[in-house]
Amino acid sequence: MDSENLENINQMLEQDAELREKIKDQVTEFDKKTRVMTGLLNKIHSTPTNQLPALLDSVQPVLYSCSDVTAEIADLVPANQFWRWKDTWCNSLRNAVFVATLIEFLRSESLMTIQQVSDILGIQPSWKDRFVLTAEDYLHGVISLVNELSRLAVNAVTMGDFEQPIKISNFVKDIFAGFSMLNLKNDTLRRRYDSLKYDMKKIEEVVYDVSLRKLAPSTRDA
Amino acid sequence: MAEQPQTGSLKSRTAIVVVFETFRNELDEHNDRRERLIKNSRDVTNLSKKVIFLLHRIMTEDEPTPKPNNDRASRAAAKGREKLKEVQNLFASIRGEVEGDRFWRYQRNVSPGLQEYIEALSFAHYLDTGALISFNQVQQSLSDEHGVPYFPLTLEDYLLGLSDLTGELMRYAISAISQRGGRTIAREVCTFVRSCRADFETLTPYYKELRKKQAVTSQSLQKIEDATYAIAVRTSEYDLPPEMLDDVVAMVSGSYGRGSGEDQSQRKRPRPDDDGGDDD
Repeated sequence: MDSENLENINQMLEQDAELREKIKDQVTEFDKKTRVMTGLLNKIHSTPTNQLPALLDSVQPVLYSCSDVTAEIADLVPANQFWRWKDTWCNSLRNAVFVATLIEFLRSESLMTIQQVSDILGIQPSWKDRFVLTAEDYLHGVISLVNELSRLAVNAVTMGDFEQPIKISNFVKDIFAGFSMLNLKNDTLRRRYDSLKYDMKKIEEVVYDVSLRKLAPSTRDA
Repeated sequence: MAEQPQTGSLKSRTAIVVVFETFRNELDEHNDRRERLIKNSRDVTNLSKKVIFLLHRIMTEDEPTPKPNNDRASRAAAKGREKLKEVQNLFASIRGEVEGDRFWRYQRNVSPGLQEYIEALSFAHYLDTGALISFNQVQQSLSDEHGVPYFPLTLEDYLLGLSDLTGELMRYAISAISQRGGRTIAREVCTFVRSCRADFETLTPYYKELRKKQAVTSQSLQKIEDATYAIAVRTSEYDLPPEMLDDVVAMVSGSYGRGSGEDQSQRKRPRPDDDGGDDD
């Protein structure tokens, strides 16, 4: 290899290495934030329903603060290189989606859209070649939400809230109907989609137990 | 933050299904594009492999009137480059598919063919110039007539493509040995592959795949070294210039080849002398 070529190569390698380090630092920050949030949200399994809003309020500021990190990352990523680097932060991002959609469900029993999550995380439309929330990452986050809700269905009953499993059941069925619309490839999303069935089964069993013993307040759902 | 998370989230199954339908379209579009690029990459691989065979063929075919090896090499390179234009057209055809931020999304689907192409291109380049093709030269070959790249070349594809070149050079060197002037070729290739290996060695920490390929390069190098060793030992027994040795070998193998039927019976002659029995 002639020296000019070799020099060129080494320069590119150095730049990449430097950038990788910088992005990694930000991702570590992002990861810390999502861990704080999931740590706090773990308490939903032991918090009575009437005290949930206070718990959710304590998570909200951390969620909003994620926009600092997303801005830093978007700033670091060179033009058009979103897909080159996204693997470094996609776990944190999926966790953030999980947190945002969980809070929204517990507040309003509805599914937060991809656009709403993007907005909360401060993701700007002008970042579209550097930092975006992709459908895939959003869907991963939503599957985590369902996984978590199947646990909550059980624990809500333990805490004496017999209505929660029914709400969860209806919500999860709606989400499942959504997922059935997709043509999934044999990838991680497909495997995790398959796991939804077990969550639904678990939730159904809880609903069954609660209904048979007439513990649920009313039979308003069909 | 001005956004109120409560507004606009999806409360009904119909609303959810509608949104997921847009996800379906998005995912389908992505998967279809991926499939097309994988297919394109396979075509690139096939064509590039053919070019490599073509180069080997031209470099080893018998010539009625022996010409200097350089002539043959530049003729091979020219033919190879001509054929590689077809591959370059394939790359030009996916330009729209990998535009902008999409390139990095599909880089893994493009790279197998791309590496094979770089292997073929660098082989032709070596035959022509005796040097390693540079990163910029490869990127240039993947650009339109205005010098605008079809897509950015990654360092990893460049290095992995070159790393495969050493295997082809090993084949080239070994098959050249049986030819006129081949011993010089083998020695040149040996020196070249050795310097390639040294160059790549400093870059292996950055790429896992390169480490694997570097092991193959080392094996190839050893094969060439063993072959050139054998040549050095044997030629040292004769105090003749290499061209004359070539002539001697050509004369002997030429006369052997012509009267093959007779030669066969002559070779068998010592056998019956043993004890005249079957050769079991």
